[in-house]
Amino acid sequence: MTGTAHVLVAVLALAALALILRLVRMQALKAKYSVLWLTVGVVLSVAAAVPGVLDRVADEVGVAYQPALFLLLGFGFLLLLAMHFSYELSRLETRVRTLAEELALLRHEVEEREED
Amino acid sequence: MRTTAVIPAFNEAEALPTVLAELAATLPDHEVIVVDDGSTDGTAAVARAAGATCLRLPVNLGIGGALRLGFRHALASGVDRAYQFDGDGQHDPSQVGVLLDGLDGADMVVGSRFAGNGAYRVSRSRGLAMGLLRWLVRRTTGQGFSDTSSGFRAFRRPVLELFATEYPVEYMDSVEALLLAHRRGFRLAEVPVTMRERQGGTPSTRNLRLAYHFVRVLIVLTAGMGRRPRPVAAA
Repeated sequence: MTGTAHVLVAVLALAALALILRLVRMQALKAKYSVLWLTVGVVLSVAAAVPGVLDRVADEVGVAYQPALFLLLGFGFLLLLAMHFSYELSRLETRVRTLAEELALLRHEVEEREED
Repeated sequence: MRTTAVIPAFNEAEALPTVLAELAATLPDHEVIVVDDGSTDGTAAVARAAGATCLRLPVNLGIGGALRLGFRHALASGVDRAYQFDGDGQHDPSQVGVLLDGLDGADMVVGSRFAGNGAYRVSRSRGLAMGLLRWLVRRTTGQGFSDTSSGFRAFRRPVLELFATEYPVEYMDSVEALLLAHRRGFRLAEVPVTMRERQGGTPSTRNLRLAYHFVRVLIVLTAGMGRRPRPVAAA
């Protein structure tokens, strides 16, 4: 990466971090979901701020083409995120079902009382 | 012994009055719970007019979800046994006795269309899927069921306790429920019954959906294989 590109990525990553923190403070984003995103923000910031860190890591793990490592990490992260969402969705569905059941039972109870 | 019918109903306002009237005439001492699964055609009003208890779900949860609620309510009102009954006129009230007699030697009884009585036809793809399910259930439970997807079933209270919280809520719930009850150590039985052709509406399933859910049940089966059967809390 050239110097300008580094600056650009660093600025974007920091902006993303700021946005995430702001959303959490506004309670528009639950803290538990922010963890994953903050991790990405920090990793990106470090990678952008310290030139050569990505190259060194790539050398360590034996990846010859450094951008490939970056893409691999990105892909892995997205998979993780998608899985996390599926998990949360399943939980939500269970809760919605239970709520619907509860509502039906309460409706029934109210209707019974009204008849008396 | 208190017995209740649980009838899941989604837009069955047309068929329901006849079904409920027949039930009441044949089995006057049974309670009837109709679970209105988010209908838009006045199913609830029809059920109430016929004197049934009606639980109205705010959204459509599917047969499994509706049944679970019905079992839950039946349990809470203190019944000893309950049976599943169709709201579309497919099940014959005169056969309920046959079903309940089966509970003498079992915790859960499935009424089968294919085990002798009556002639009931299904399409080829449906027949194929049913054949595969039969084979699977036989392999898993070591017990042959000729009609794994039959929705004409009766349960003793301990099974209701399980199903009130853990009834499978996706389509093909009937197969899953059979396997679940088996895994928890309940005694299952099948009795031959006669059924009618459904009186209104079309079979709710297209082939693609059938295939999808078939795969889904396979996954459930595989995932459940390693699990050891949990002992039943109270018999």
